Amino acid sequence: MTSTRNMVLTLLIVAIVCSVILSFVYSYTEPLIAETQKQMTLDGLKQVINAQEFVEIIPDTLWRAVDSSGMLTGIVFRVFPQGYGGPIPITVGLDLDGKVTGVRVASAAEGLKETPGLGVKITEPEFKDQFIGKCGPAVQLKNDGGEIDAITAATISSRAVCNGVKKGIETYLNYLEKPLDKKCVFSGVQEFVEIIKDTLWYALKDADTVGIVFIGITQGFVDCIKFMVGVGTDAKINGVKILYSNETEGIGVVIREEEFLDKFKQGYPETITGATVSSQALINAIKDYITRYKEYLK
Amino acid sequence: MKNSALIFLSAFLVNNIVLMRFLGLCPFFGVSTAVETATGMGMAVIFVMTLASWITWIVYHGVLLPFNLVFLRTAVFILTIASLVQLVEMFLKKYYRTLYNAMGIYLPLITTNCAILGITFLNIDNKFNFMNATVFAIATGIGFMVVMITFAAIRERLDLAPINPSLKGYPISFIAAGLMALAFLGFSGLFGLS
Amino acid sequence: MNRWNLFTRGLVKENAVLVLMIGLCPALAVSGTVRDAFGMGLAATFVLLFSNVIISIMRKKIPNEVRIPVFILIISTFVTIIDYVMQAFQPDLYRALGVFVPLIVVNCMILGRAEAFASKNSIINSILDGLGVGLGFTLALTVMGAVREILGNGTFLGMAIFGEGFKKSPVIFMILPPGAFLVIGVLKALINKYVKKETQ
Repeated sequence: MTSTRNMVLTLLIVAIVCSVILSFVYSYTEPLIAETQKQMTLDGLKQVINAQEFVEIIPDTLWRAVDSSGMLTGIVFRVFPQGYGGPIPITVGLDLDGKVTGVRVASAAEGLKETPGLGVKITEPEFKDQFIGKCGPAVQLKNDGGEIDAITAATISSRAVCNGVKKGIETYLNYLEKPLDKKCVFSGVQEFVEIIKDTLWYALKDADTVGIVFIGITQGFVDCIKFMVGVGTDAKINGVKILYSNETEGIGVVIREEEFLDKFKQGYPETITGATVSSQALINAIKDYITRYKEYLK
Repeated sequence: MKNSALIFLSAFLVNNIVLMRFLGLCPFFGVSTAVETATGMGMAVIFVMTLASWITWIVYHGVLLPFNLVFLRTAVFILTIASLVQLVEMFLKKYYRTLYNAMGIYLPLITTNCAILGITFLNIDNKFNFMNATVFAIATGIGFMVVMITFAAIRERLDLAPINPSLKGYPISFIAAGLMALAFLGFSGLFGLS
Repeated sequence: MNRWNLFTRGLVKENAVLVLMIGLCPALAVSGTVRDAFGMGLAATFVLLFSNVIISIMRKKIPNEVRIPVFILIISTFVTIIDYVMQAFQPDLYRALGVFVPLIVVNCMILGRAEAFASKNSIINSILDGLGVGLGFTLALTVMGAVREILGNGTFLGMAIFGEGFKKSPVIFMILPPGAFLVIGVLKALINKYVKKETQ
């Protein structure tokens, strides 16, 4: 009987002591681990764009890069295109013009599954630095009509990186809150005269005022929506562009699509099913702003 | 469904537990001297691996995670598996004599088999749900058994072959396993699996 | 002299990986580079040394019937400690070693030393034994890592040693899984040959 009690007691004591020690170790290392991981992500981001700070927009996927004075310098996003051996983790930086500032492909230790010696060459500067300064259709293999040299015997991996970078640019370009050229919303205009700083301009064509361009802001479903509108003196909308929005991925983001924005040229469009709040907010805001700035249209 | 099929193929062929992940090498070299023993060992591994995946999955998601005790994972998992194997052995011995005769003697051998514990860790690390964890465990076990039987067949022939005395035994087995691994490397990239 | 023998026995004569053929899984899995192999070796040595010490201290107080669960608890505590410490301070190495860090707990070498040696011997002897076996394991892994990294990647600890030309097109096979089997097979054959000569 004593021996049974002894056995159970020993086991219990050892188990409790071990648990207590481990809980101390855990509580001591856990913040360190979180900090290290954050630092590693930050280092990865800093490798692709020159910036001091990063503001996370979509967790683990999209960041806005900000320099020391708080000015936006570009965006950084992560994509996982399907390679030869599995998804390839890629980090890409874009400057304000939408040009690639750097590409970082995760190493094998970080989860890259490409063939050692062949596919993993996509991590080397000779390959990935080709992307720097390129944008749009140039981000493709030479065989596919682009400007990137594929790695010999690793075409699939090389093409996967191109596709990932290209798709990422297409998806996230809209998040670049850059000073959009006002000509985008008012074609055929040569000159703009500022009326209210950073908010309202006269659009001049052959020294005649043909309309106004203004920047507005409204509350969307998730976050604010910032937009730019060009309006003719006849109160007709010439063009609408979204400068910033953070609407629900896959639903609310449709308000960014050209198809929807182009409808404003033929009068106010109907709301989009599934993104009623976002689209209604935008339509109402544009109406309000045009009423507010009516006097400038005379 | 498609996801499960991919997990199955990945665990069975592309990331074969023995040849690509290097787990469970001790029984692979130790018990693969004859096809018959290899089959028994393989069956025992499939059986225990599936059971262990279930029970550790439940323990992890039902106890460790809710009570924020993840730091006890290693200790809890190995003790759970060890007791599980003991229970299974006693149960089989008493109620399923034939099954016990086929694989019972291999059960104690796999208590501290890194393949079993490794799979339960990978279930957690890969964030598998219960269904996928089951598929993963079964596929891994089948992958283990297939490789094990194939290797045992090769070794039965190796015993008869005239081999340099320095290479006899382990060295030639390692090299044969290396050639098998080379063949399995051909599966990488299959359906884009990794 | 006796104590020196105790240390060198685990290091060379009864080297876990290359002579006794235990602890093969990590030896083959993480010997792709010298850094990974050495890191793995040190982690296992840490666990082995400290579990040996604790078990040796407690050897007279543990009832025989529950000794294995107690050993496993002690070992898994040290494994979890090294697991978290490595995650915090050596995240790169931790990612490279992956699941093999927590799997140190089922390395038969460690439970084997606890059962066969530390539970029967004094603290000093257990320390020497743990150090010897652990460093022997580290040595074996590092040798394999060196062979595989030099041939398979053209580098040693990341430095190109046969020039950039070889680094560009090395024997890739060596760092792939089949290369691990080949390297340990050849090493074992060489040891067989060498040991045989000595005994004759």
